[in-house]
Amino acid sequence: MTERAIEHVTCLGCGCACDDIGVVVKRGRITQANNACALGAAWFGDGMVPAEIRVDGQAATLEKAIHKAATLLVRAKRPLVYIAGDVSCEAQREAVAIGDRLHAAVDSLAATAAAAVLAAQRRGRATATLGEIRRQADLVVFWAVDPSERYPRFTARYTGERRASRAVIGVDVGPSRGPRDSDHRVTIAPDDEVDALAIMRAIVAGRDLDATGRFEPAVELARRMMRARYAAIVADGEPSSAAADPDRAEALVALAQALNGPTRCALAALRAGGNRSGADAVLTWQTGFPFAVDFAGGTPGYRPARGARVLLAGGEIDAALVVGSPATLPEDVAEGLGGKSVAVVGPRASAATFGPGVAIDTGVAGIHEGGTAFRMDDVPLPLRASLPGPPAALNVVRTIRERLGARTHE
Amino acid sequence: MSSPARLRIAGGTVYDPTNGVDGVVRDVCIEDGRIVAELPRDAQRLDAGGMVVMPGGVDIHSHIAGPSVNHARRLSPEEHAADAMPAPRLEDGTLARSGTGGTVPTTFATGYRYAGLGYTTAMEAAVAPLGARHAHAELDDTPILDAGFFVLLGNDDYLLRQIAAGETARARDYAAWLLGVTRGYAIKIVNPGGVALWKGGGSDGTRNVTGLDDIVGSTSVTPRKILETLGAAANALALPHPVHVHCNNLGQPGNYATTLASMKALGGQRAHFTHLQFHSYGGERGKRWQSAAQDVIEYVNAHPETSVDVGQVMFGPATTVTADSPVEHLLATSTGGGRKWVNVDIELESGCGIVPYVYREKAAVAALQWAVGLELFLLAKDPWRVVLSTDHPNGGTFLSYPELIRLLMDRSYRDERLKAVNQKLLGGSALLDGLSREYTLQEIAIVTRAGPARLLGLTNKGHLGPGADADVTLYTSDADRAKMFATPRYVLKGGTVVVEEGQLRRAPAGQRLSVRPEYDTAVTKDLRRFFDQNATVSFANYGAEPVP
Repeated sequence: MTERAIEHVTCLGCGCACDDIGVVVKRGRITQANNACALGAAWFGDGMVPAEIRVDGQAATLEKAIHKAATLLVRAKRPLVYIAGDVSCEAQREAVAIGDRLHAAVDSLAATAAAAVLAAQRRGRATATLGEIRRQADLVVFWAVDPSERYPRFTARYTGERRASRAVIGVDVGPSRGPRDSDHRVTIAPDDEVDALAIMRAIVAGRDLDATGRFEPAVELARRMMRARYAAIVADGEPSSAAADPDRAEALVALAQALNGPTRCALAALRAGGNRSGADAVLTWQTGFPFAVDFAGGTPGYRPARGARVLLAGGEIDAALVVGSPATLPEDVAEGLGGKSVAVVGPRASAATFGPGVAIDTGVAGIHEGGTAFRMDDVPLPLRASLPGPPAALNVVRTIRERLGARTHE
Repeated sequence: MSSPARLRIAGGTVYDPTNGVDGVVRDVCIEDGRIVAELPRDAQRLDAGGMVVMPGGVDIHSHIAGPSVNHARRLSPEEHAADAMPAPRLEDGTLARSGTGGTVPTTFATGYRYAGLGYTTAMEAAVAPLGARHAHAELDDTPILDAGFFVLLGNDDYLLRQIAAGETARARDYAAWLLGVTRGYAIKIVNPGGVALWKGGGSDGTRNVTGLDDIVGSTSVTPRKILETLGAAANALALPHPVHVHCNNLGQPGNYATTLASMKALGGQRAHFTHLQFHSYGGERGKRWQSAAQDVIEYVNAHPETSVDVGQVMFGPATTVTADSPVEHLLATSTGGGRKWVNVDIELESGCGIVPYVYREKAAVAALQWAVGLELFLLAKDPWRVVLSTDHPNGGTFLSYPELIRLLMDRSYRDERLKAVNQKLLGGSALLDGLSREYTLQEIAIVTRAGPARLLGLTNKGHLGPGADADVTLYTSDADRAKMFATPRYVLKGGTVVVEEGQLRRAPAGQRLSVRPEYDTAVTKDLRRFFDQNATVSFANYGAEPVP
């Protein structure tokens, strides 16, 4: 019986991008993903993915599917390129190139953290790569988030094991609660959250506010953070509700920045998996903007309020290329693609629920394909292929780009 | 024009300082991407009559790729919106890539715009090892330029531990290993020890070093020890470029003393001190600033082992981006704050600080900085060791090089500009006293090409002798030197015409410049243990080499 072990594999199950996974392959299937959490184990699964190629629901050759995808895109009046999950940065770079060539709108899963990204664009950031938080922080404040559910290994890997010299405070904001086992808890009413952050920032800046009553716990928290040698704030960059409050995201950044006066502070924004942080990085270096880029004018434009979701809902888009796993698409984007002329190139493309005209199953980046992915803190990591798989997304997307022809937009 | 395998650039006035050619009318012959001594008479000709011919420009210090640069890009969407660039149509009819500019352009725009200025080689000046893979990916998307990057060392935990333990040989092996796994080109030191203190937490007063003998954690670790250890390592490894040093106390009044002390600490061995302008201020900390350019450049003039680039400040928008994160905190919070500010502490290694900034000629400090840079240029005795840079995009963007060249070549223009700037802090400045020097075209060719290529150890760059890469820039001579250098008539990269009268014609991929020094591999055993205990990235995944 053949058994292979692949070490140091990077998992894209969430934004933690743990790169210490030991994958065991027996008889062509993944039988173990050592060190992986439950999310990671599910993400690897047994490594079996469909390898279908479909045009209008019928099995087709790769050649025909690529031709059809290119044709559909070239004929589009208002195309969209959407970068979904589980593709490498290398494939993402090709996807943006297609958007550029087609004068398309380009958006990605990075848009799910739009509030945090926009706040960082307005104010900047006070942050750290996660290992530095583990190394330096003597106080970690989990702001309305418990990483254990959606980022199961975050605490163990990035904020460190519990120890006497590190205090953990959980801030509960309505139903969004900090970790259960926090050393201390602070409760803030949802309607008070932005005000509480502003008051904390004023305290940190040295304002002698007479904040009594319901803001007292927040004031005390601010003073506690000022006494720390290196404070970390961990907040969720991926809002669980659709109504991401831009004021809240900005107030968190402002507080973290202000804390660097009296002490040091880093704000870590938790971001989900599938290499969405890679899409953010690639779009930024190729276009200058992190998501919601529109090439319609022949140059990259930034339309953060008119991303894929809005364009699709408004009926503006007539054709789309989805690069990545359709299962990772936000629900409203997947719904919006229904009835449009769509090509999907990515893992389990053939299982897309919105009936794409072209579906080309590819391997999963990090399981069947190598390349590069970014951790939620923008640290780049290599991906390793544990198994052979369907055609590589990078190759398929590149071939589609080459087929678009050199002379569009004369 | 097409780009044949053989090409004779005929009858241009050639400036090739490396080969002692100073404004001589002669032909430059190209075959298969290289300069050759002669070609058959029937080889295709490019008539360069009346044109100035120089090697392609070489930027020794520029921030163009990697995590810090991308953070800076993300920070200024409004700049990008204001400077959107359509995809250029190439000679073969295909479209290149669109992009956006501003002070931190996108990767494709960076490649095209550098080439548009006649620059064909550039060094990204500061990449944390953890971000090396990212920097390479960006350089892969930066066409035309042959490029490499400097790897940040000098605040990294592993190195400081080796210094504390007196393990000099292991520190050297580590530096060599790191350059290899990151596919970097040279060792970069930024505010040695200061960034490590900033990351270590606490309040003001303990979060930076103030001089070469401040203690960094362990009593046996000081900025001086860091400089000595890495300076010696770079020389022992015979790296093509020595340590590239950003001194302590950047931007502080009175910092020239630290700068001179740093140069002396590395005295007698090759070392490069970068953006010297930001390190040449007199006065006292927290008090009045003045120029100390003369003191600093006199030391450089007298020490042939020391080289510098200037880091000229040019009036207008800039983005300050540096691994010297405590300095950026100071900048962000001075003058009332309210500026956009990014700080990223990079685990075990380095930092990153970013503040968008505008240098105004009516602002006293900006005017002083502008004057200090010009003094350094104009008082330098050996142009081979004083390279033209703006520390793009810190002192201004690389697009301001033509304007800077005009300031150096045209005294009357310079004097006119000097009258317009705030003179409050210029007392004692040699510039105010009147500096009559005007750079010659040959000297410009040295400070923008031949000098940086030599200092980088790029033997095939910066000159037009047989065997050199056929990177050639042709300018139409113009009394307005800014105009002349802003729009080359032709730019050839590896023998290929890439730019013709401001139009991008071809956009080939550039080459990557990297080193792989040898070392005692015993160090990797210790490193593996260090990684297992301290790092969040697996040892096997670290660096930028392809994985199986």
